[in-house]
Amino acid sequence: MTTLVPLGAFIALSAALFFIGVAGVLVRRNAIVILMCVELMLNATNLAFVAFSRRLGLIDERGSVFVVFVFVVAAAEVAVGLAIILAAYRNRPTVDVDEVREMKG
Amino acid sequence: MSLDLIEPILFGLLALTIVGAGLGVVLADRITTSALLMAFTFLNMAGMFVLLGAETVAAFQILIYVGAITVLILYGVMFTPQAPRAYGLFFQKQTTVGAVVAALAALPVMVIAFAFRDTGSIPPRGGDLVPLASSIFTDFAFPFEVASVLLLAAMIGAIVLVKRE
Repeated sequence: MTTLVPLGAFIALSAALFFIGVAGVLVRRNAIVILMCVELMLNATNLAFVAFSRRLGLIDERGSVFVVFVFVVAAAEVAVGLAIILAAYRNRPTVDVDEVREMKG
Repeated sequence: MSLDLIEPILFGLLALTIVGAGLGVVLADRITTSALLMAFTFLNMAGMFVLLGAETVAAFQILIYVGAITVLILYGVMFTPQAPRAYGLFFQKQTTVGAVVAALAALPVMVIAFAFRDTGSIPPRGGDLVPLASSIFTDFAFPFEVASVLLLAAMIGAIVLVKRE
């Protein structure tokens, strides 16, 4: 009988990585790094989904299905996000989020 | 050493690596370093999924996150070269406030997170491929098709956005 890691430890790790991502989005200037931090947050939620699904899933692996959808949305998000960043960079060669203010009212 | 402690030890190593590499993504001054540390975080997260017994999700994780998304991000880094600058200029002006707000929000969430308890039931053996596939292709068949439309729309949108006239 191997010792199981408690569910709370997985959820706490997920929360820690999520808030590292939040801090990155709040403090970094580079739009691509902000995109990376959003990916970190999405992946942290994936860990919470899988942990709950494996440890508390009474019926079947419903939580893992949502992980697959999160994968799809993350891939779409990073593709469109990079396209927007590249379009803005072509307009003016900077990826600093506080330098891109063409749409400011 | 008995095999009893192998799972907590693996969890501790993976958790330390994930948190360390995640902090590295936020704090690194070179964007390429950030991108590769992000890929390393995702790789260790795949190990965490294996530890939870979700091998299929771990395989998807390596294929999509470590493979596709990291390559996309690295292309983005390659196409947007920046002049070198001082380390402090990598961060926003509201860095202190932002970090404090994130830490304050994280504290209660961490306390709540540690409060989750297992139900005492033993996790099912035999991997997650069969239950995952039977869920996706029966109850979630329509959302699955909608997801493919979303991917198509994202691809067309990305092409239109970066197309040169």
